[in-house]
Amino acid sequence: MMLLASLGAWSAFGADYLREVKPLLTEHCVTCHGSEQAKGGLRLDTAAHALKGGDGGSSVVPGRATESVLVQVLEDRHGEISRMPYKKPPLTAEQIARIRTWIDAGAPAPADEVPGRKVHWAFVAPKRTEVPATGIQKPERGNPIDAFIRARLGREGIVPSPEADRVTLLRRVHLDLTGLPPTPAQVDAFLADSRPDAYERVVEDLLASPHHGERWARWWLDVARYADSNGYSIDAPRSIWPWRDWVIGAFNTDKPFDEFVIEQLAGDLLPNATLAQRIATGFHRNTQINEEGGIDPEQFRIESVIDRVNTTGTAFLGLTVGCAQCHDHKFDPLSQREYFQLYAFFNQQDEPNLELPTPEQQTARDAHAAKVKELEAQLAALKDSTEDGTEKRQAELKRELERVRRNRPRVHSTMVLAERQAPRECYVFIKGDFTRRGADVSPTTPAVLPAFGVRRQDGALASPAEASRRESAETPRSQSGGMPPQSKTAPNRLDLARWLVDPANPLTARVTVNRVWQQYFGRGLVETENDFGTQGSPPTHPELLDWLACEFVEPSADAPVASANSQGWSLKRLHRLIVTSATYRQSSKARPDLAEKDPTNKLLARQNRLRLDAEIVRDVALAASGRLNPAIGGPSVFPPQPDGVMSLGQSNREWKASAGGDRFRRGLYSFFWRATPHPALAVFDAPDAFSACTRRLRSNTPLQALTLLNDAAFVEHADALAQRIQAEAPETQRLDFGFRLCTGRPPQPAERERLRRLLDEETREGDRAKAWQTFARVLLNLDETITRE
Amino acid sequence: MNSAPQSPLHALTRRHFFSRCGLGLGSIALASLMDRPQLLGATAGSASHPLAPKATHFPARAKNVIYLFMAGGPSQLDLFDHKPRLNALNGQPIPDSYLEGKRFAFMDSSFKNKSTLLGSKRAFRQHGESGMWVSELFPHTAGIVDDVTFIRTVATNVFNHAPAKLFMNTGSSQFGRPSMGAWVTYGIGSAADNLPGFVVLQSGPRGPRGGAVNWGSGFLPTSYQGVPLRGQGEPILNLTTPEGISDERQHRAIAAVKDLNLQRLVETGDPEIATRIAAYEMAYRMQTSAPEAMDLAGESDATLKLYGIEKDKPSFARNCLLARRLIERGVRFVQLYHTNWDSHGGPGENLENDFEKVCHQVDQGQAALVKDLKSRGLLDDTLVIWGGEFGRTPMGESREKTGRNHHIEATTMWLAGGGVKSGYILGETDELGFSPVADRVHVHDLHATILHLLGLDHKRLTFRFQGRDFRLTDVHGELVTKLMS
Repeated sequence: MMLLASLGAWSAFGADYLREVKPLLTEHCVTCHGSEQAKGGLRLDTAAHALKGGDGGSSVVPGRATESVLVQVLEDRHGEISRMPYKKPPLTAEQIARIRTWIDAGAPAPADEVPGRKVHWAFVAPKRTEVPATGIQKPERGNPIDAFIRARLGREGIVPSPEADRVTLLRRVHLDLTGLPPTPAQVDAFLADSRPDAYERVVEDLLASPHHGERWARWWLDVARYADSNGYSIDAPRSIWPWRDWVIGAFNTDKPFDEFVIEQLAGDLLPNATLAQRIATGFHRNTQINEEGGIDPEQFRIESVIDRVNTTGTAFLGLTVGCAQCHDHKFDPLSQREYFQLYAFFNQQDEPNLELPTPEQQTARDAHAAKVKELEAQLAALKDSTEDGTEKRQAELKRELERVRRNRPRVHSTMVLAERQAPRECYVFIKGDFTRRGADVSPTTPAVLPAFGVRRQDGALASPAEASRRESAETPRSQSGGMPPQSKTAPNRLDLARWLVDPANPLTARVTVNRVWQQYFGRGLVETENDFGTQGSPPTHPELLDWLACEFVEPSADAPVASANSQGWSLKRLHRLIVTSATYRQSSKARPDLAEKDPTNKLLARQNRLRLDAEIVRDVALAASGRLNPAIGGPSVFPPQPDGVMSLGQSNREWKASAGGDRFRRGLYSFFWRATPHPALAVFDAPDAFSACTRRLRSNTPLQALTLLNDAAFVEHADALAQRIQAEAPETQRLDFGFRLCTGRPPQPAERERLRRLLDEETREGDRAKAWQTFARVLLNLDETITRE
Repeated sequence: MNSAPQSPLHALTRRHFFSRCGLGLGSIALASLMDRPQLLGATAGSASHPLAPKATHFPARAKNVIYLFMAGGPSQLDLFDHKPRLNALNGQPIPDSYLEGKRFAFMDSSFKNKSTLLGSKRAFRQHGESGMWVSELFPHTAGIVDDVTFIRTVATNVFNHAPAKLFMNTGSSQFGRPSMGAWVTYGIGSAADNLPGFVVLQSGPRGPRGGAVNWGSGFLPTSYQGVPLRGQGEPILNLTTPEGISDERQHRAIAAVKDLNLQRLVETGDPEIATRIAAYEMAYRMQTSAPEAMDLAGESDATLKLYGIEKDKPSFARNCLLARRLIERGVRFVQLYHTNWDSHGGPGENLENDFEKVCHQVDQGQAALVKDLKSRGLLDDTLVIWGGEFGRTPMGESREKTGRNHHIEATTMWLAGGGVKSGYILGETDELGFSPVADRVHVHDLHATILHLLGLDHKRLTFRFQGRDFRLTDVHGELVTKLMS
């Protein structure tokens, strides 16, 4: 437990047994002195046991640390008993001091203490930590994030970097909050705005922009393994973009994250579920579907259930639950049985399509229904007719009716989950093999995490937090907080969803704030953003992580960024908190003094330069060229791609490039075939949509260079950019204007000089228009253009 | 091994960059440094070239791999695994003892109409000093048996095409795992500085089932994924300078990008920019080197004749020759896919004329490849692998014509070259060719062995992803030492 080392920072705040002492005893002592074995009759898994002592008497004398046997053996000054932990490295002086402080304070502990097992930090609910008062010298803007970051930097003797220059900062926050670069006009306006809160105003504008939802939807689409095709070998197209649009809308309206989770996992089970809540369940329909001949359909239904379990574990709990599919988890306290208890929540669904006709489509449907009805009536009218030619007429009508029925107008639809009437049996698959039936299981959550609460009188399960508060009635905070169906006995998906976002759940809030943090700094406070288990890396700033998690779930009244929106689980609030921090606003320039002290910049004495995500590489080129179609949502589109891509899949599917405005939509709307993803997306590390992606790689390859240099789409963007430069700026300003369109800033003299040389060479070669085309291509290929500085 | 892109290797490079270059270094000095690739390689090298050659775990027996993937699952019973007893029992129901607990594709129909045994209609003869049985459908291949190790007992786990191909390539039937070629280039890098380290070539009527995931890099960085080269037209997507742009203009654009990126590198001190500069240089080199590698104009008539290549006609044979050329140019792993070996008996996939056709398409080229590599002294360093994703059942399948179903218990694969025995036959199946009776070689064992021949310990070649160290062989894999020379 490397975390313990950093816990040292807390000792200044007093002796909290549960936070500071118990974890030490649990980690170092309880294996030999616990419920499973109590060597020398001694147990140290509760404070009461420690006070009672073992065969040799009390181990802890309240108020007298020096006389306590526990301290004596830890310090190796007991006459008879060996130094503890036996044959293991001794505790550090700081750790022993913590135990001493606690004993000297009278060894206070809660009366109803549960015996400690070795509990991993991430399995204990975060507690609101105190914002360090030291480490900052009057921060210009008192953001607690900076207090935590700078307290740590101060201990290491590192000074933070200065704020990035204003253009860099503006471009950074535009790209991070909306995925689009600022226009030269926006840059000018910001530079001219001398109000002290000019930056904060920009942040508010960006959070209110409809493009904010697009930017962050893609973040969630990665986790959800969203794609527009079914995957496996056949990879037929599917329609689930309405779910993608639901996500965009949820982020734009700042739907509280707890509702966001509940509706996606179990929107269909909410009382009087709305259409939108049912669309939300598409989250778990983003699994692949195998349509290959000769398969065992049940096998692949089970594959998708397993995917749902694993994705739920990854997305919300940050745990590698998938490891427990075939055997008990090797490192984390998760048994194979518990895996299948989670599995049982997801084994009871049907997988229907939900039709979502537009008004026009509905009109066409209605007309079609009327036509069918009319033909049926005509047919019925002939039933008893004995006239000549009746049979012929009947046959004609039947043919006509069949034809009309076949041509039922198509309408938009999306894939959803629906709870099944007749439940399926659930059992463990021996060694993960679905053909080998093991013990029966029923749905419940892993024992290491808080249990569901007691069943209340109304039949619903009380949440863990609620149970601990011993409240008698639920007070729904929102629509999503409604009651689950009354009749059920076993917990269902809705209960699971609520459990995930219960404040007592130690993981969901931490995992979420960590992944948001990762977007802004390139790395989470917990670097293993998808493994908060015992094999994951410990947080670099544990106190900050917990503070952020608590602040996210329940904002403090005196929060530094208080605004109209003070509800819990607000992502926009979290974004605002981070992007207004001085830590976020630092320069990203490398510093020689950090090369030895913090070479990977874990302590954040500066920002990190981050290569843009695949979709945004496209968006930036579109924005610079002025061709971007800013429309939000709708069916996925087909921007041009090189010939021959689709033939790499098993089925040679057609890619007919969209015409008109759809050719210039943002990257997140490009139709995503799992088997043959658009090469410009794949080459810049867009995830493959086969499983949840919680962090994109940022590779840097020759194929990326070939794409930006030679891909027809980028040549098209460059042509448009060249035309725009010539159309919108006078000759003398064109160079700077183009440079600003791509990087936000004017070129430095040496850069201007180099570009002028290029233009001169090109002009000598051909006409001036071609020179601007080359100029535009160069700009779109700059490292800086595709980087968030 | 380096684990994540931001990890120790990166950190080391960054430190190195600062300690050697410092930030005070003027742009001119840096520019001259960057103008000399050999120096670049020596300083920011490891970050600049994720494919730079890396040390192996132990001395390698083979340096390159050419993997001839017979997509669809060739019938080993009609090519290599000669079973007179099966022929004798032709038409008889298969004894129940063989079927117990086994699963097959198209299970419903397989069980409803309980299959009968199908003897091979093909004439078999023993060849070479090894006395390996090869059917009449592979006359050329019969001529190389003494350069080859045959494994008649390869077993796999999965019986549907796409997942079985994935399993053969990645050791898992789940999508998203790195393919063998990606693991190998991740493990030992590549000797080519102007071509990708892992190249894929395709022939046959359609792409292999599952598509690009078969040569994907999964959770490994995309630098390691297979790059499909096309035998005709532009060999790599976006390789060609756009229409209407002269080479001079392209070069001027690239030079300007480089100079501006250099200035930014000096300004920010971010070694990623050095990597990007190197990537552009390699891209520019690839624009010349890839078309050159794919151009057979320099090959002699004798060579073309050896392979049976018809001018300007895409074929498996052509891809075999291209594979040799790519290996010669330092490419580490070349994978050839040829479709379609599926032989259920339906239209286009019967064991009669359709099977003959596909055998004919590969026979001469694959034999020529081994001979050609050998005569040029390349076979010692190059491991040639031949096989499909699974085998076919001894039972027949009757659709329009005769065929065989997918079979995971045993099939035949062959290896030649670097580190494997010549003229060796490993493994034996029962009298019907249903299951191994000796020396079963599971796909995981094969993977472990291939990595071993390349100097890599399959247990140490790991990558941390989602909190776990992943391997090509997962938690399995035993070395097949018997086939090593």
